[in-house]
Amino acid sequence: MFLPKLRARVAHESGGYLLETNELGFRSASEVKIEKQQVLVFGDSFTAGDGVSNGKRWSDTLAREFDRAEFHNFALPGSGTDQQYLIWRKFARDRQSDLIVIAVLVENIRRIMSAWRPASNEEGQTVFRAKPYFELKDGLLVRGHDPVPIESVTASELGEASVDLGGRFPTLRRMLNRLEVKDLVQSLTGYQPVPDYDHPDTPGWQLMRAILVKWLGEIRTIHDCAVAVVPLPLYQHVEGTADPKAYQARFSELGADLNVHILDPLPALQGYSQLERRGFRFERDVHLTQAGHAAVAEALAPRIRDLLECAS
Amino acid sequence: MSYVLGVSAFYHDSAAAIVSTDDGEIIAAAQEERFSRKKHDPRFPAGAINYCLEEAFIEPESIDAVVFYDNSALTIDRVVRNFMSVAPRGRDGFVTAIRSVLGDKLELPELLSQTLGADRPFWFVDHHLSHASSAFYPAPFEDAAILTIDGVGEHATLSIGHGTGRKIEMLKEINYPHSLGLLYSAVTAYCGFKVNSGEYKLMGLAPYGEPVYAQTIEDHLIDIRPDGSFRLNMDYFAYPEGAEMTGSRFHELFGGPPRAQESRIRIRDMDLAASIQAVTEKVVLRLAKHAREITGSRNLVMAGGVALNCVANGHLHRTGLFDGIWVQPAAGDAGGALGAALYAAHTAFDALRPVGDRDRQKGSYLGPRFTPAEVESLVDRLGLVAEHIPDSAARAMRIAGEIAEGKVVGRLAGRMEYGPRALGARSILGDPRDTKMQSRMNLSIKYRESFRPFAPAIMHDRVAEVFEHEDESPYMLMVAPVRAERRLPFGWEDFRRGGADMLDAVNRPRSDVPAVTHVDYSARLQTVHPEDNPEFYKLLDAFEKLTGCPLLINTSFNVRGEPIVMTPEDAIRCFFRTEMDILVLEEHILFKDAQPKQEDDDEWRSEFELD
Ligand SMILES: [Fe+2]
Repeated sequence: MFLPKLRARVAHESGGYLLETNELGFRSASEVKIEKQQVLVFGDSFTAGDGVSNGKRWSDTLAREFDRAEFHNFALPGSGTDQQYLIWRKFARDRQSDLIVIAVLVENIRRIMSAWRPASNEEGQTVFRAKPYFELKDGLLVRGHDPVPIESVTASELGEASVDLGGRFPTLRRMLNRLEVKDLVQSLTGYQPVPDYDHPDTPGWQLMRAILVKWLGEIRTIHDCAVAVVPLPLYQHVEGTADPKAYQARFSELGADLNVHILDPLPALQGYSQLERRGFRFERDVHLTQAGHAAVAEALAPRIRDLLECAS
Repeated sequence: MSYVLGVSAFYHDSAAAIVSTDDGEIIAAAQEERFSRKKHDPRFPAGAINYCLEEAFIEPESIDAVVFYDNSALTIDRVVRNFMSVAPRGRDGFVTAIRSVLGDKLELPELLSQTLGADRPFWFVDHHLSHASSAFYPAPFEDAAILTIDGVGEHATLSIGHGTGRKIEMLKEINYPHSLGLLYSAVTAYCGFKVNSGEYKLMGLAPYGEPVYAQTIEDHLIDIRPDGSFRLNMDYFAYPEGAEMTGSRFHELFGGPPRAQESRIRIRDMDLAASIQAVTEKVVLRLAKHAREITGSRNLVMAGGVALNCVANGHLHRTGLFDGIWVQPAAGDAGGALGAALYAAHTAFDALRPVGDRDRQKGSYLGPRFTPAEVESLVDRLGLVAEHIPDSAARAMRIAGEIAEGKVVGRLAGRMEYGPRALGARSILGDPRDTKMQSRMNLSIKYRESFRPFAPAIMHDRVAEVFEHEDESPYMLMVAPVRAERRLPFGWEDFRRGGADMLDAVNRPRSDVPAVTHVDYSARLQTVHPEDNPEFYKLLDAFEKLTGCPLLINTSFNVRGEPIVMTPEDAIRCFFRTEMDILVLEEHILFKDAQPKQEDDDEWRSEFELD
């Protein structure tokens, strides 16, 4: 979480971006105008907007488009769908909600399977901090790390425990980066960055599905509001160096099974030229640029409009 | 709203400042050294620029122009034409000078657009015009004579100008190599202190000496004309050639080689300090008189490194030559960033310039602040123990009580100061009545020379009770005498005759506020006004209620050679490295003896050398 009531400019390869947090520590406006429709948005750094100022994110871009609605961004950088669900429970469950948007960066499927995440300590060494997580036991979600241990551990203390290092083959990936032919190699080898979507029965998808089922179920017991799931593609999917079919299939199955709206921005993003699509991420940082956020917002806008009209 | 960003880089002290184009309001200003933790950092001020945009909370598109202090074309011209290095900056002569001046500045537009994330219009303002702007625009005068004196800018080392409303007219200048600033620096170097930072120490040393060399200096080194203009006899100086400040004839004149750094300070050094101080004051006074004559103004504003000579400023003040004197607290090169920005705002963008009773420098509290929530999370993360007192009156009383019991308190509160002096926001505070306090704070907290006196911060409405001074001096830029009835005789003559050593002299009480009374009964005043810093004023008020004494010792929060602390992290590190008793971080108070044992950290002494 960010510190509450923060106003900072974060130096970045783009120059820098303005980050403002509310009293809860989210990069979001704090006031609630009851007469407006309330849209609550959940996600990770691609939704929180690492690399761009608050006002340039896709959620804020949509908010400007729909002045009858107020968008609240509860996204947390580095989080998985599991933590995002817990954020909803802790901070948003009882809030007025006309539309809830759950943005799942498709890579989150790896994050939800790990109980630890890498971080740097005061001395700049990599340590691992515990995160809350869920396991599927006999078809039931069981919460791990509850409460979450505060002490961080080193790699050797962690041993074989599951850690998300942020890449499927860390060593290979680093090597490819150095060769600077990563894109080429990825498309030649049919690189699949998130293999857990390959089949409906993989443990990763089973867990992702279970979390979303539980979350949706709880929303529906409390609110009579629309829910939309937005699978956010990786840049490899946008730029055509990885095949999105598997994850798209999984999310549309989910949509049909649970009767939830799946808002897939990828087809619209694929409509841009190769050069434009490359401009949706930074030179080095893979997060969305201002142009990337604008394109995602534009891709989502028609369906969001429908959902808001239905809700009113 | 739109803004102008001012940038000073590649001199001694890089900085950035941002001002509004509506009315010239100073939104933020900071020196790069605080961000990079490298004292007098001359590198491109990426940290300070980022901070300026953060404080204004704007995208780069809201910046109408970026204004660089110094016309680089002129600077390059000077370097190329004269085949010389300016000694205080570059040590390795011509090649370094070319590379540092020309090379870096050519990259400037690129560095800027990288830091901003956008290309913005990019201008230059002349060096001395920037200094003049930094002095005039924030001052509380509709019209003023402007005096800027420093080492060297593009060519000029000194200028006289006239400011009226939004207009500045430059009237006269003196050009390199004739430079009062470099003369002072030459004596500084000869007395074994570092050029560009030791000048302040030399000024502190002056009261220990007698100006016995003043006439020698005037006879051989500087020819002072009645209007204050002067020429140096370059036979005595080595700085135009590069490596050294002074030449062999200079050494012969004062009977020997320069003092080695950190060796024992001798009577000769003290007398030289007193002598150059006397000469400086003579020149400044004549220049000020001349400026008064040619501008007809009853007010004077000053900037440039020499304007930090608060002893000279104090004398000028007491002559009554001017009704009002205002000195830019960031008088050195860092202040050029602010001056350049203000000049562009008021001239190119027609920013209004409202003039009131008080200046527009906001107490010079123009840097970053940290919230109690940030402090709390840091204290938790480091496993430290802190007392949280959100009520400011209760907090002031608690801190004042500890100071009255002899505790030394480091205080980080509110926005950081712009300029070389700590004015309460990043300060170490102590009880001025304590006779041992000066040497204790010098030796075991600041780790610096024991002769250096401390400055008092005093409630602005109580200043006349303690000092022979009635006006405000919010930036520690005026020296004033302690009132006669508060002085104590202390046998200064023994010391001059060699009967006592310096430390002994320092430890003898000279008044009822000995720790802030210099050996000549003078003090470098900071008057604190509740409008500028209500919290600090409250603390002084609380101390006064407990003790009857309306002032505290105020010295910058750092150890020797280290830049003044900026963040709570910096402050905590400094707290554990010194014998400071208490650390105040906004609303939190940390007591040294309540903290968990810290790992030994002996390395740091080598991290920062004596400046
Ligand atoms: Fe200067």
